Amino acid sequence: MSFFKITLIRSGIGMTERQNGVLKSLGLRKRMKTVYHPVTPQTAGMIMKVKELLTVSEVDTPLTQKEIHEKRRPPKGFIVENPLRPEATAE
Amino acid sequence: MLLRTLQRTLRPLTALPTTTTAPSLLRGLTTTPHLHNLTTTPISPITPPTPPIPQQPSIPHQTGTLNITTPTAPTTPHPSLALLTALKSQPAQYITIHIHKFPFLVTVGDLVRLPFRLKDAAVGDSLRITHASVLGSRDYTLKGSPWIDPALFTCRARVVEETSEPMRVKEKTKRRNRRIKKVKSKHRYTVLRISELVVKDAPVMAAAAAGEV
Repeated sequence: MSFFKITLIRSGIGMTERQNGVLKSLGLRKRMKTVYHPVTPQTAGMIMKVKELLTVSEVDTPLTQKEIHEKRRPPKGFIVENPLRPEATAE
Repeated sequence: MLLRTLQRTLRPLTALPTTTTAPSLLRGLTTTPHLHNLTTTPISPITPPTPPIPQQPSIPHQTGTLNITTPTAPTTPHPSLALLTALKSQPAQYITIHIHKFPFLVTVGDLVRLPFRLKDAAVGDSLRITHASVLGSRDYTLKGSPWIDPALFTCRARVVEETSEPMRVKEKTKRRNRRIKKVKSKHRYTVLRISELVVKDAPVMAAAAAGEV
């Protein structure tokens, strides 16, 4: 089963109630938020209602919100080394 | 799994400016020649080494392992790393470290007050820096794309202090309204002391020297 990767590129401010309702149902609360929905005629219809605000692509596997957040997280940049606390060195 | 891309410099520096370069070429060279960090791809027994691919800056380096080529075919290091020994031999070096992607240009002995409290480290812990984008000295600069191979340097910092700013109070109110809301702030910060900065030799040169001995 394939999925739509939907990202809200343009804000819903100033859009009609119906369009904002579609964005709410898709789970797009903020600009640049990415959600994954299965490819069905219902989802396709919702995308067509607000297609000017979105960027859509098709992927095989969806990511959870946690996984999306982890991908965006920058590297720590350091490793804690402490001979007094060996469990810190193991991290 | 890790793909290390080779990035050609726009003006390849094959020799030190003081020795054989003609005066007309010297005028074109700046006093701080910029080297792009280039690491050799690890040569596996099955696949041949990949040719250099000129493309956009690459995947960040994940581990600190050295890219040592097979001992049967010792090769010279990439020309861009040829000036690394010159950088190392200069009396002082600086490095731009990245902690949670915040850049800090530091040298040995610097006190760095981070704009946040490091939750991972307690006072007295030693941190080994893994991500750096620029390593330089007075006359030479090594730029990573986007990071420098951690095998080329060692940088350690000690957590010296966990301090906080003085309490500040923000008064929030509207005009012609006597109600004042007070919001307190007292942010905490971690202070690091850079205890060590060592530039290492380019990995292939070290292997060749070990092979000669």
